Amino acid sequence: MDIAQVKTTSYKVVLPFYLYAAFSFLAAALLLFTASPAFLAHYFQPHILAITHTMALGWGTMIILGASHQLVPVIIEGKLYSNALAYISFIFAAVGIPLLVYSFYIFDMGAFAKWGGRFVLLSILAYIINLSVSISKSKNENVHAFFVLTSAVWLFLTVSLGLSLVYNFTSFLLPQDSLHYLPLHTHIGIIGWFLLLVIGVASRLIPMFLISKYTNTKLLWWIYFLINAALIAYVVLFYLSGNSSFILLLTLVLLTAVVLFGYYCYRAMQQRIRKQIDEQVKTSLLSVALMVVPVLLLFIIIICISMEHKEHVQLITAYGFLIFFGWLTSMILGMTFKTLPFIVWNKVYHHISSIGKTPNPKDLFSHFNYNLMSYCYLAGLVVFVSGIFLSQVLFLKLGAGLLTITAVLYNINVIKIMCHKRTLT
Amino acid sequence: MNVVTNDNIKTTAAVAALQQVYDPEIGLNVVDLGLIYELDFDNEHKQILCTMTLTTQFCPMGESITSGVKSALKSTFPDYDVELSLIFEPAWKYEMISEEGKQFLNR
Repeated sequence: MDIAQVKTTSYKVVLPFYLYAAFSFLAAALLLFTASPAFLAHYFQPHILAITHTMALGWGTMIILGASHQLVPVIIEGKLYSNALAYISFIFAAVGIPLLVYSFYIFDMGAFAKWGGRFVLLSILAYIINLSVSISKSKNENVHAFFVLTSAVWLFLTVSLGLSLVYNFTSFLLPQDSLHYLPLHTHIGIIGWFLLLVIGVASRLIPMFLISKYTNTKLLWWIYFLINAALIAYVVLFYLSGNSSFILLLTLVLLTAVVLFGYYCYRAMQQRIRKQIDEQVKTSLLSVALMVVPVLLLFIIIICISMEHKEHVQLITAYGFLIFFGWLTSMILGMTFKTLPFIVWNKVYHHISSIGKTPNPKDLFSHFNYNLMSYCYLAGLVVFVSGIFLSQVLFLKLGAGLLTITAVLYNINVIKIMCHKRTLT
Repeated sequence: MNVVTNDNIKTTAAVAALQQVYDPEIGLNVVDLGLIYELDFDNEHKQILCTMTLTTQFCPMGESITSGVKSALKSTFPDYDVELSLIFEPAWKYEMISEEGKQFLNR
């Protein structure tokens, strides 16, 4: 077999997604800093919606789309079907996201919001077509591919519902107001898209990065079915306006899936051949632990609602914040510096890797900067969440300030990697 | 190290050169990693056929590793044409890492 037949996705496809995500993280952190007091009131308000969508789409979704264009060939052991579709996906999302975020910020659900939503939907459609054809052409269909494809379908449903909610502000498309559907939109996005995709990809990458002998396809299938069953049941219950004790049961199913995935990572760690674990993989493993926190908060929220028949706004705000700035961000902070240096290293050195001594991919970014970023991040996360529970604007400002520094340090390192020039010794 | 060959003497030189080609993610050379399956020397036609694998198909580092292997063999045997055959059957597995490689990863 010739190397051209197993050539991975071009860096040209992947890097724009990474860069866009890095800027989005900075924009979201700045918005968080300027709009911190909004976190003391109800979560359904323009600035929080703008921040949430910058984080969910600009940061989380863009970097995951970029990484998945690179990693899907590794996972499905087949080529990415089309680079052109990947560019189309990027362009539509890159145009649509700012339109949508700006519309939320000024809370005008007019033409900008609608076009923003349409563009994002088209972007996801291009991604699904690309993914489906790539998987159908690949000879190797595995559990990871099912995770990735199913998550993309949930993403499509999330964005479709989101666009309907935008229309619902002006056209009364749905039987109830948009706020009513917000939990459905949020949870199919978080669980169906982010959680499924992260588990599908991480269950392949974490053993690879640890050089672990551990594989357990049966356990992964169980996790897959538990998550999808819980989510489908939740959608049905939502439609039937089911009571919260059923939702509590579904949360328990979800928690079981998350704990099983934690167990999978633990066993992979135990059976690893490489003893040392680098900082980036440690950060990603931290994100696995951070998955449990929002699920536990969800338990408390549902119990409070069923017992006291009222919403605890602080708990719900903290829940959402910990998903986007906690679990998702910690995973991305770790995985960016595990994947991006290799993509750039490959771009710069792939033809000359044996001519002279090349730097290691991990030498392409500043580790001092990375460690400082990690400390700022953890401190910012804890201080901001404390600010939500203590209703202290000062804590919110301080936490958001630390997260902004995190985003700045992240951007500096990302740009440093992307601008790396060839050095041979 | 279990490289199948038809010329032990040339293979010693080839392996020494290939031990300078590293998988940048793992930090281990391609020989100790067990990626090189066979080195076939056709002295009459001055050709080397290197049969090797990658840790996974569509490995993002695949192009860099194969290009490194080709360059290392070419610079050791400048009179020979080097041809690479990339196979995934048998697939690479962790047991293929040499004892030296395992010790390196266990540090």
